Amino acid sequence: MLLKDCRFCAIDLETTGLDPRKDEIIAFAAIPMRGSRIAVHEGCYTLVRPKKYKLEAMKFHGLSRNDLEGAPSFEEVAPEILKALDGIIVGHSVEYDQEFLKAHFKRIGTRLKSEYLDIVVIEQWLGRECGKKDPDFSLFSHFSLNGIMSRYGLKESYRHNAMADAFCAAQIFQMQMRRLADFGVDSLWSLKQVVRSCTYSTW
Amino acid sequence: MMIPPKEFIKKIRPFSFLSEEELCILMSCLEVDQFLRGRTIYEKGDARSFVYLIFSGLVGLFENELPVDYLSRGEVFGIVATGGAPYALKAKVVRDTVCYMFAADKFQQVFDGNDRFSSFFLSLIARRFRSFKDIAVRGAVLDETAYISPVEKALFKDPVVCSPDSIVEQAVSIMDANRVSSVVVVDGGLKPLGIFTHKDLRRAVITGGQERPVSSFMSHPVKTRPHNSTLFEALSEMIESDINHLVITKADKVFGVITRKDVQIHFEPSSSIISQFRRINKTISMEELEAVYKTINLSVAKLAMNGPNFYSLTEIISSIHDAIINKVIHLTSAELPAERFVWVHMGGLGRKEEILATDQDNALINSGGQLSEFAEAVVEGLARIGIPKCTGNYMASNPAWNQSLSAWQDRFRLWFNEPVPEHVRFLTVFLDMRPVCGDDAMFAELAESIRRSVNGEALKLLASDAVEIEPPVGIFGITGLSKGLNLKRYGIYPIVNGVRVLAMDQGMVEITNTKERLEALQDSGVVGKQMCHDLLESFGFVQDLRLRNHSTSLLSETKADNLVKGKDLSKVDMLILKESLKVISSFQKFLMAKYNVKGADSFSPF
Repeated sequence: MLLKDCRFCAIDLETTGLDPRKDEIIAFAAIPMRGSRIAVHEGCYTLVRPKKYKLEAMKFHGLSRNDLEGAPSFEEVAPEILKALDGIIVGHSVEYDQEFLKAHFKRIGTRLKSEYLDIVVIEQWLGRECGKKDPDFSLFSHFSLNGIMSRYGLKESYRHNAMADAFCAAQIFQMQMRRLADFGVDSLWSLKQVVRSCTYSTW
Repeated sequence: MMIPPKEFIKKIRPFSFLSEEELCILMSCLEVDQFLRGRTIYEKGDARSFVYLIFSGLVGLFENELPVDYLSRGEVFGIVATGGAPYALKAKVVRDTVCYMFAADKFQQVFDGNDRFSSFFLSLIARRFRSFKDIAVRGAVLDETAYISPVEKALFKDPVVCSPDSIVEQAVSIMDANRVSSVVVVDGGLKPLGIFTHKDLRRAVITGGQERPVSSFMSHPVKTRPHNSTLFEALSEMIESDINHLVITKADKVFGVITRKDVQIHFEPSSSIISQFRRINKTISMEELEAVYKTINLSVAKLAMNGPNFYSLTEIISSIHDAIINKVIHLTSAELPAERFVWVHMGGLGRKEEILATDQDNALINSGGQLSEFAEAVVEGLARIGIPKCTGNYMASNPAWNQSLSAWQDRFRLWFNEPVPEHVRFLTVFLDMRPVCGDDAMFAELAESIRRSVNGEALKLLASDAVEIEPPVGIFGITGLSKGLNLKRYGIYPIVNGVRVLAMDQGMVEITNTKERLEALQDSGVVGKQMCHDLLESFGFVQDLRLRNHSTSLLSETKADNLVKGKDLSKVDMLILKESLKVISSFQKFLMAKYNVKGADSFSPF
C-alpha cells in the first residue's frame, strides 16, 4: 500500500509518570491523517481522571488535580479512544505511548492491536541516508521533539499540551514523507523496512 | 483548545481580526496538507472546496499559464465570490508547500460575518500590485542624467576594508576612524568576502562577540556592482536586495561602498520650481504673473516626464497654485472688498490635486453683497494667466455660486435633505470646497453647518454615485484600451468620490485632499491600513499617467485630454494600470457593502 493511501493517526499522551505498569494516562490526543493530509478538524482530545493523582508530575504536564476531577475515567473514555486510534499510530517516541495504551486497555480487558511508526526512528534513518555526520547526532536533544521540530522549521513555542504535540508529530511526519519519497520510500512496506533497519543503538 | 495551527493563524493578518469563536469555526474545518513541486492544487474553473493558507513553500497563481502572482508563508489563496463560484485562477506549486486548508463554506461563513476580516481580503490583490510597482521602478525610463551617470562618480571615499580575522572591536575602530557605517571584509587580494555594517555590529554586541573575528558576523555573500554601473542600477540592486550598502568593485577588487543615501542625493528633483515660486510674491503685474505661471507649468511638465511622482509634486504645486490665486486676487482688485468674504476652490484645486490646472472651479461666499465685479475680475484674471474657465460654469462669476454664508448653509441643508440627482451632483462638487483667500472664520462656520447637515440617506446616494462607473477591467485585462481609457472617469473619480463619502460620514469636512482624507480614515479605523495603502498607490499611479499625458500635451502644445491609449503604455504600465483598476474595483465593492448599495451581493475579490 502506498503511503499516500494509508490512514495514520498522530497521537500524544500525558501521564502521571514514566512507568506504563504503574502510572496512568491523564490526557489523550489523536489527529487522523489520510496520506499526507492532516485532518485537524477530526482531532480527538480528552482528559482522563487518574485513580491516583501524583503532584510531582504536574510540572511536566501542567494539569492540576482540579483539571482532572471532572474528567471521565479511562474506562469511560476508552471506546472513544479506541475509535480515535484508527490507522497506523504515529508519534514521537510512540512506542512508549503505545505501552501505556496497551497496559490501560489490558486493565479493562481489551487487547489493543495496532501498528505504529516512530518519527524519531524515521528521523534517524533520514539523517543517516543524508550522510550527515552531525556531531550532535548521538545526543538525545537531537531527536527530542523540540530538536526535530526546529529542524523542520516548526516553532516549539506552539507546544502546550498533548493536542499540540500530536499535531507537531503529524506535521513532522508529513514532511518526513516528502523526504522519504526522495529515497524512493513511498509505500508502507518500504517504510517498515526502513524502520526495521534502524535501532535505538545511538541512544 | 490551543493547538498550533490556531496559534499560527492567529498571528497572521487578517486572521488576527477574528474572535475566538470565529477561529474555532475555522479550526473545526481545518486540514493540513503538503503539495509537491509542480503539482496543480486546482485548475481555473474547478469547483471551490477549500481556501488555502500557506504554512510554508511557494505557490504560483496562473492565468492562461501566465503567472499572475507568487504567494508564500502566511498568504491566502482560493478566496472567490460568494455563492461558491469556481476558482478564478490556476494554483500551482512552485516549491514544496504545506497549506492549511479551510472548508470553503465555513470560511465563507466567517468571511461574511466579519467586516474587518473580509475587507482585508478585498485589498489582497493589491499585494500583487506592489510587486508590479517594484518592476516599474526598475524598468523606468532612464533619460534623467542622474540615473545614467556612473556610480563611481558618487563615491566619496576610498574603500574601508579589514581582513576576515580582524576582531569585531578592530573593525569598529576602523569604521570610526574613517567615519563610515560599514567596512568591507576582504581577502589578501582585496576581493570582497563580506560586509560588516552597524546592523551586524548590533548582532555581535548582543551575542557578546566583540572579541570574535568579524567573519563570524559579517553579511555574506556580499552584493557587488562594477564601478561603471549606473547610479540607477545601484539603487535598484539595493532596493531589490533590501540593503543599504552596496560594494562597488573594479576588476573584482573593492573600489568603494555606496549607500542608499549617497544615491538618493543625486535623484532629488533639482527643479527651478522653487525659485519661480519665490518670484510669485514679487510680481507686480498680470503679464509678469502670466509668464511666471507658464514657466512653472513647463518646469512641472518636464519634471513630470522624468518619472512623475504625483504625491511629491502635489506637495510643492498646491501651495504654488494657492499663491498664484492669491496673487491674482490681489492684482485684479485694487483693494480687497471691505466686507467679509471667502474665495473657495472646488475640484482638483480644492482637493490640492491639480498639478497642471486644467479648469478653474471656484466659488465665493460673501456676507450679503454679491461682489460680482470682484468675482468676475478674478475669474478673468485666472483665465488670463492660463487656468481655463470651467465649462460647467462652476465659477464665482456665476451668481448661483456667489452667495451669502447663510444662503450657502441653506443650500447644503437642502442638498442633503432632498438628495435628488441634481443635488447629489452639487454635493459632489461643493464638498471639495477649500478656502484659498479671505476670511477663514467664515468658512469654518460653513463647515460646521455642513457637518450638521450630513445625513445617511444622502451619503448612501453619494456612495451609489461613486460605485456607478465600474472600471472596465476583467479577467482578460482592460477593455477598450485601444480606443482610449478615460483616466479621470474610471481611475480618479471613483476613488475621489468614494473617499469623499467616507470622509463626510466621519464629519471630516475641512479635509479635501484625497490622500489626507484616506490617512484620516485609516487613523479612525474606517479603512484598513492595507486598503489605504493600496488606494493611495493606485490613485498615485493613475494620477501619474494623467499627469504624463498632460505634460506631453503641454510640451508639444497640443490639447490635453484624459484619455490613455494602449499603444502609449509600456507593458509594465499596462500591468500596473490593470492592478490599479482592480484595486478601485474592490474599493467600490467595499463601498457597496458598507452603504448597502447596488451589487453588494456580487463581489469577487479575485
